[in-house]
Amino acid sequence: MTDITTSEPEVSDQPALPPEEPSLPIGEWTRKNLFSSPGNAILTVVFSVLVLAAFRVLVNFMFENPERDWVSIKFNMRLLFAHAYPVSQFSRVWASLGMVVGLGALSLALWPGGGVKSIKRISTSLMSAGGIIALGTLMVNGALSRDDAGEVLFTEDFEAIRDSWASSLGGRGSWFLLAALLFGAGLALWVKFGDQRRSVFVPTVRLLYVTVGLLIASLWVVKYGHYGVRGDGTFVIKPDSLVAFSTRMPLTVLFVLAGLIYLVGVRLRGVDAVKIAVTAGWALSPFIAFWVILRDPDIDYTHVFNTDLPMFVAFAVFGGALLYALSSPKIGELGRLIAMAMVGVAGFTFVSAFFGWISMLQKARLSFVALAVFALMANNFTRDLRTRRNFVIAWVVAIGVMHYFITIMNSASTLELRSDTIVGGFVFTIFAAVFGLMFSFPLGVLLALARTSTLPIFRLLATWFIEFVRGVPFITVLFFFDIMLPLFLPEGMEAPGMAATVLGLVLFSAAYLAENVRGGLQSVRRGQFEAADALGLTTPQRTMFIVLPQSLRVSIPPLVGQAIATYKETSLFAIIGVFDFLRIANSVIPNQSTPVNFVGHKLEGLLFISLVYWLGTFTMSKYSQSLEKKLGVGDR
Amino acid sequence: MSSTDATVAISEEMAARDDMIVCQNVDKWYGDFQALKGVSATVKEKEVVVVLGPSGSGKSTWIRCINRLEVHQGGTIMVDGVELTNDLRNIEKIRSEVGMVFQQFNLFPHLTVLENITLAPIWVRKKPRPDAEALGMQLLERVGIPEQAEKFPGQLSGGQQQRVAIARSLAMEPRVMLFDEPTSALDPEMIKEVLDVMKDLALGGMTMIVVTHEMGFAREVADRIIFMESGEIVETGTPEHFFTAPEEDRTKLFLSQIL
Repeated sequence: MTDITTSEPEVSDQPALPPEEPSLPIGEWTRKNLFSSPGNAILTVVFSVLVLAAFRVLVNFMFENPERDWVSIKFNMRLLFAHAYPVSQFSRVWASLGMVVGLGALSLALWPGGGVKSIKRISTSLMSAGGIIALGTLMVNGALSRDDAGEVLFTEDFEAIRDSWASSLGGRGSWFLLAALLFGAGLALWVKFGDQRRSVFVPTVRLLYVTVGLLIASLWVVKYGHYGVRGDGTFVIKPDSLVAFSTRMPLTVLFVLAGLIYLVGVRLRGVDAVKIAVTAGWALSPFIAFWVILRDPDIDYTHVFNTDLPMFVAFAVFGGALLYALSSPKIGELGRLIAMAMVGVAGFTFVSAFFGWISMLQKARLSFVALAVFALMANNFTRDLRTRRNFVIAWVVAIGVMHYFITIMNSASTLELRSDTIVGGFVFTIFAAVFGLMFSFPLGVLLALARTSTLPIFRLLATWFIEFVRGVPFITVLFFFDIMLPLFLPEGMEAPGMAATVLGLVLFSAAYLAENVRGGLQSVRRGQFEAADALGLTTPQRTMFIVLPQSLRVSIPPLVGQAIATYKETSLFAIIGVFDFLRIANSVIPNQSTPVNFVGHKLEGLLFISLVYWLGTFTMSKYSQSLEKKLGVGDR
Repeated sequence: MSSTDATVAISEEMAARDDMIVCQNVDKWYGDFQALKGVSATVKEKEVVVVLGPSGSGKSTWIRCINRLEVHQGGTIMVDGVELTNDLRNIEKIRSEVGMVFQQFNLFPHLTVLENITLAPIWVRKKPRPDAEALGMQLLERVGIPEQAEKFPGQLSGGQQQRVAIARSLAMEPRVMLFDEPTSALDPEMIKEVLDVMKDLALGGMTMIVVTHEMGFAREVADRIIFMESGEIVETGTPEHFFTAPEEDRTKLFLSQIL
């Protein structure tokens, strides 16, 4: 904007780029940024010393410490991630993971985005990684002396016997080699690109793929050790061996598959049908994964095909037809009578169950209740054909989800074990977090809309619900759903402990999300409502197209914050007896004495799960940052 | 039922066939403050009415009552023969026939210019998307900024945004356009481009009510000028009458302050 008399700034024109700032030589940069004044110099020195000291404590905590036994993690990797899931059925977990990885690769290809990193940034990252590894290796104390069985040797004063620091360095050649490789790669990039290193960019996605590829490739080369319990109960401890074939092979296949799918996806870019299919795939993937991982290998398919599916089709078709008729604008009073009759029918199915007149699956009774509720709502959807069609579609989706869950939960057995004992470890964390967020987000938005609604009943109910749930500690909600909810369910229906408690998580998280969304709703200016009204949009249209998109956009940071909190709150399930990630690290591994003695080794597990939790939250927070950037939060 | 019959009777009796907007003794309170005190006025089809008056005189409140952004508490307002009541169907019908342009543009910041224009035709008028987009481009041509169709409102200047807002209202093919101080939030050099579009619209035979402080526009384009103060209509007349021989003292005072 140099020419202030221009009335219409030409946004489309390429603005002139500012002159490139020359990068300072290292000495000058250091002086300017770290030692510009005496105070600054003191701070630099003090904090450098503190950071180095903390780093030294950390590496000596982790390595060559007689109290640490990292085999406890390596040996229990399967327990941590999948708990008691039968080894013979592991292919299902890999298949589910494959589905998610495939969808992810396809999405990245179809919706290009994500950031880029300059060569300069990559090169400095590589060099600092090399530097940190070299420094850490230098800081570790001398190697512990061990006997032939690998036990640490102690003096009479119970002090670990160590080699001297200098003589131990020779044994750490591989670490120095890694550091040198990283540093060398960084330096090579730095030199090769010369002055262009700030203007040449690499997409972050590609960078990530290469990094993961190198890590997976290392599984085939580096001897990380082969540990674990086999399906028949025998166990393996081979410290000088490659990782189990059954681990490195599926990972490699997934990795290659992701790359291939990405390449296919790039060719399909711009095909709308594929985008719709992928979106639908994401929405369905948790259900498919749930089905694949939990379903009974001996599931009674005759029951599914002869009873479950026909019942769903019957309710979808006949219920849909009935609702289509009821939403006709011409039906008038008759519609109300039919709706009331449906309420009567639904009530009768329960009464008849009480007296034992008609035997009927509980699922059918609940479906009649749902149909009655939809029938009562029908007269709100008479506006035009499109509205009526959407109303019928909503019915089919609702009845489908309901039947799916009842079928899943009531199948005679899940892998011959109850689902709440079989799903554990990190798989449980993922399940609880994904299902929790998937259902609490829509519920939270609905609660926020209800709370800001002009209809007093909705407003009152939503306000009370939110205020009540937010006033109660989460652990109380968990205990309530774990112990109380099964008592309230009608006879013949059982909720696996996990499902009931995840419902608690959904409600708890929804209440918090609702308040975040409400904050966003209040930030939408009055003029936006007026403009929408002045154009003749109806209230639902105004909400869908104008208010929600704007309010959700500004509430992305708090919403992601709540998503991260929900993800971490799954660790509280440890307290109500679920064998989740935290419980395995905190109570199971430290109590193992057979086949290997890990008694008391708690810190290793806690450190490890912290790292895994952190990777999850870090990914979410990075994703939210890129989403914010894409949607232009902050600059409207 | 009887009250509806009565209003139908009144409307047939009172309203001549080309009366577009008929207001009878409209009252409006904000709490204890009475913003409109028995405002009665009639706007005929194809008529351009400019509403003048000091700030706080109720000009904006009055035109906001006409498409029920504000709810009046006394009197009747009839738009194209339909009375404004709490009946939602009437309100939606009237709102889709009455376009409104705001002082602050109120464009939807998350939609592109073209999406801003086509949203209501697609969802309210149920126009097929290609038709709505063709109409949108045609309207953008008319207001002179077809090249901005794919941009977001935040990337446009104030004058361009207001022209988009006008195009957005026109996309509903309204029978009446209300302008609520459309140039007050604009930098001086952008006012003309918006007034030109409005002039063009007036020449095309659109029924318009314009609340503005642009005396030049009022003198040149208005068929009739309504002067309001303290929630009342003080004086009504042609521009010549109003600017050269005003009758009321309050009008004279206002003109002496402003000219």
